[in-house]
Amino acid sequence: MAKKTGADLSKDQMLALYRQMLVIRRCEEQLVRSYQAGLIYGACHTYIGEEAIATGVCAHLRVDDAVLSTHRGHGHALSKGVSPRELIAELYGRATGCSGGRGGSMHLFKPEVGLLGTSGIVAASILLGAGAAYTFRLLKTDRVSVSFFSDGAVNNGAFHEGINLATAWGLPVIFVCENNLYATEVPFSEATRNPSVASRAQAYGLPGVEVDGNDVLAVYEAAGEAVRRARSGEGPTLLECKTYRTRPHAEGMRDAGYRTKEEVEEWKARGPIKRFKERLLDDEVATQQELNQIDAAVKAIIQEAHEFAQNSPMPDPATVLDHVYSTP
Amino acid sequence: MAFEVVMPRLGWSMKVGSLVEWYKKDGEFVQEGEILFTAEGEKAIQEVEALESGILRIPPDSPQPGKEISVGTVLAYLVQPDEPAPFETAAPPPPATSVEQPAIVVPPSSTSGSPSRGARRERPASKPAVSPRARRLAAELGIDWTALQGSGRTGRIVERDVRQAAQEGEKEKEAKVKVSPVARRMAEAAGIDLAELAAQKAGEKIKREDVEAVIAAREAAAAPPPPTPPVGQAVPVTHIRRLIAQRMVESAHTTAPLTLTTEADATELVALRERLKATLGPRGKVVPTYNDLIVKLTGLALQEHPLLNASWKDGEIVILADINIGTAVDTAAGLLVPVIRDVPAKSIQQIAEEARALAEKARARQLAPDDMQGGTFTITNLGTYNVDAFTPIINLPECAILGVGRIVSRPAVWNDEVVPRKMVALSLTFDHRVVDGGPAARFLNTVREYVEQPYLWLVA
Amino acid sequence: MRELTFVEAAREGLAEEMEKDPTIFVVGEGVGARGGNFNTTTGLYALYGPERLRDTPISERGFTTLCTGAAMAGARPVVDWMFLDFGVDAMGDLIHQTAMIQWMSGGRLKMPVLLRGCIGALGSAAAHHSGNYYPLFMHIPGFRVVVPTTPYDAKGLIKTAIRSDDPVLFLEHRGVLTNKGPVPEEEYLIPFGEAAIVHEGNDVTIVAIAYMVNHALKVSEQLADEGVSAEVIDPRTLVPLDIDTILESVHKTGRLLIVDEDFAPCGAGAEITAQVVDRAFDDLDAPIRRLNGASTPSPYSLPLEAAVLPNPATIAQAVRDLLME
Repeated sequence: MAKKTGADLSKDQMLALYRQMLVIRRCEEQLVRSYQAGLIYGACHTYIGEEAIATGVCAHLRVDDAVLSTHRGHGHALSKGVSPRELIAELYGRATGCSGGRGGSMHLFKPEVGLLGTSGIVAASILLGAGAAYTFRLLKTDRVSVSFFSDGAVNNGAFHEGINLATAWGLPVIFVCENNLYATEVPFSEATRNPSVASRAQAYGLPGVEVDGNDVLAVYEAAGEAVRRARSGEGPTLLECKTYRTRPHAEGMRDAGYRTKEEVEEWKARGPIKRFKERLLDDEVATQQELNQIDAAVKAIIQEAHEFAQNSPMPDPATVLDHVYSTP
Repeated sequence: MAFEVVMPRLGWSMKVGSLVEWYKKDGEFVQEGEILFTAEGEKAIQEVEALESGILRIPPDSPQPGKEISVGTVLAYLVQPDEPAPFETAAPPPPATSVEQPAIVVPPSSTSGSPSRGARRERPASKPAVSPRARRLAAELGIDWTALQGSGRTGRIVERDVRQAAQEGEKEKEAKVKVSPVARRMAEAAGIDLAELAAQKAGEKIKREDVEAVIAAREAAAAPPPPTPPVGQAVPVTHIRRLIAQRMVESAHTTAPLTLTTEADATELVALRERLKATLGPRGKVVPTYNDLIVKLTGLALQEHPLLNASWKDGEIVILADINIGTAVDTAAGLLVPVIRDVPAKSIQQIAEEARALAEKARARQLAPDDMQGGTFTITNLGTYNVDAFTPIINLPECAILGVGRIVSRPAVWNDEVVPRKMVALSLTFDHRVVDGGPAARFLNTVREYVEQPYLWLVA
Repeated sequence: MRELTFVEAAREGLAEEMEKDPTIFVVGEGVGARGGNFNTTTGLYALYGPERLRDTPISERGFTTLCTGAAMAGARPVVDWMFLDFGVDAMGDLIHQTAMIQWMSGGRLKMPVLLRGCIGALGSAAAHHSGNYYPLFMHIPGFRVVVPTTPYDAKGLIKTAIRSDDPVLFLEHRGVLTNKGPVPEEEYLIPFGEAAIVHEGNDVTIVAIAYMVNHALKVSEQLADEGVSAEVIDPRTLVPLDIDTILESVHKTGRLLIVDEDFAPCGAGAEITAQVVDRAFDDLDAPIRRLNGASTPSPYSLPLEAAVLPNPATIAQAVRDLLME
């Protein structure tokens, strides 16, 4: 018999959250293997360890809401509606990728599901998200936009200008800071003397909420309130989700020198999927067998996606000049 | 020391403005920082503070509110107690501080980005510099640019040098042509190429009349075709039109016309003419036209068939001694038929020259009545209008007229094969009063033979 | 025909478009009730209010990139930088987001954002308020660059710019803001990529940009008295560039002078020169010359400012020098 959880979600909803986190995890693990096998060029920044945030926030979004993200955007893309096939194909540089092979890991686009882009430039998402929100309001809709960024962005001018403008103008945007304590190899504690991102909100006049980013239900609850605020015209919210990436900044980079193995292991033990799985079992929301079934199903999807991507054609070089301008 | 209160610059590019209202009166004490007056600038009215303390003294000739004044114009003074205002003393007022721009003598700014020109390498004299444009032009005009002197700043040969050389070359060519000074002047003025004219004159000296003829021919050719009369409106008939009408009606009503047509294979004739063109042309001789050749061969044919060279006169048929063939010429004024006399006695060359001269005269409306009389047979050629066979009207008092159509490539049977041959339609209208169908047909056959086998002329 | 100033004409164009299309909004410092520092939006706030005439804090990167986001989400923002010198604060995002998003998204996201500001040296505005910088934008694939001179061009081009789905730099030299000229009552648009031959001639081709067109026209009249017939071409849009009109003119005259207030290195003149040499080599009777502003920041003191800028006297002399070649 299922107990009611703190977030008052149904069993189906909880399992959906679990499944989504697993899709991200297994997909990223595949990409790690593919990267090492030489199937991916350029950079690949994996979301492993942070799955709860993308999952918990995007669970509240509609297809016509917007998401803007950063170089570490696979999780947001998958949560917003980009299929594993399209994501993997994009990183393999295929024409069937969500950006037609033009963008790779850091420049994912699928406007059809509201993914207005991930960017290789840190902090741009803050301003672009505020801009999309401006349009949603101008067009008199109740659509919202979410800007995902990490601790590395909060000391950039775009953070200051974007959050200020969005708050001054009351825009329907949610700013989600995924504080994973390191910007590449620079610890957040060295980049600024104020360890709390959420507390900065006060300076701009919008609510700042600190959340355990590895607790998908906590993220879900906080994000739900922020999305509600935005949709009802109450303006933006700054969510600081404390989390940790358990892999190096980017695939192929060494993980040594700036953090200890112990620290990594400690955070792995507090990983979002592990914790949620334990909770689902402890609260008797699901059985091991049900969870195993979800596991197997997700594995199969990712395997199929990988094969699809491998068999997809490369983009035609003759098209490379297309779309520099809207009309030639 | 009196402090000058001036019209301030209130906007970036403001040059003029106006005083709106004084907030203090003449003689009143003003504290630094108090509003002294309002002024209107580019956009709006602004309050202007006093920059110093003092007693406000407004001169009697201070600009009135609302009058447009330059930025910097002195409006008033702030003086210390017991200090006279500058306009009250005998001494001339201190010069107004103006913000007029000083006259600027600007040193020529360097055309930045160009390489230091002094460092150009010396070019060998044998390889003068030449602009691409000049080279292209030289090739087009057939000039050897390497022999030219360049007028470019660095000695480069440029377009103007090539054009000058070409002009001088033209002048030289013209100088070789024998031409009277009057004719040369006329030709230059009319833009007539003397070299071309000289070629036509076959080495003879070009005289004034020659140039005049060319000018006249040009004008006649350039004359637009006579406008078609407006629909529904009666137009008076010209003299020539009346004449033509008369003659046509007379012919139609008097003669018993019948037209025979045949098709001649003109391939050999065409080949002959091409060879004549290739040979005679470079020699400066007049090249016979198809008409000229047909005139000649018709003349030969008439010699063999004198009945077609006859005339019906008061119930009697007279076979005429001379064979004088007229050729119809279409002019702006109408149809004219100049006559070449004694065709059999003249060589083709002579016929060609005479025909050309007559055609020019006709176009220049200078044909004399003499030129058009005495004809015994007429040839009319509508080939240029893509006509094949037709029914020409007899030119009284003659008894027959030959119509020539266009020379056109058609499939024909030649040595049992179907091959393209140059064919031409021949149409003979004859007066049945004078000659019967048989003789007429035989004549036409001879004409056809002579068209198809020009070598027969040699033995005719 | 009625005559308007450049500012009035551009504003009329903006007003007409805003009336038709409710997704157009203007963002910038002072564009609201104040009507814009250069009167770009006078009267519009009263019609459309703060949502569409949005005053901003001084945060050019912020509001420019915000408008980039707004443009790709379905609106048509007009970013009014006042001075282009301020706008280049947003350069990073302009290159990486504004210029690239259309291409990166394979054309599924459009970028209909108008980026306008004043350019050029005038009245000792000095180093930080006198820049031209348009080659920076000519260089980056994805931008359109428009530099009108006459009121007629201003209105026709701003309408085309607003309707374009590309990001457009609409740059207004302060020297031409007071230009007055005929502007039809009926609606018209000027397509990009059409140069204007503002003075016909046979001896030399002068391509002039922005305020330099004013000078070049004066010079062409002066030169006519000296027996020199100059053809003056105003490209009007630098991207796309109407090189064909310039080539036709060079074919006629054989000599080309490009007058541009902006710096020479890698400038508009360098680009035009390269294209002309490539396609009209055999038409050239002389080297192609460029007359540019000096490669220095804009000076303050009047004689210094005057010394770094092309003026009718130096332009005329450059033409005479070119004819000597």
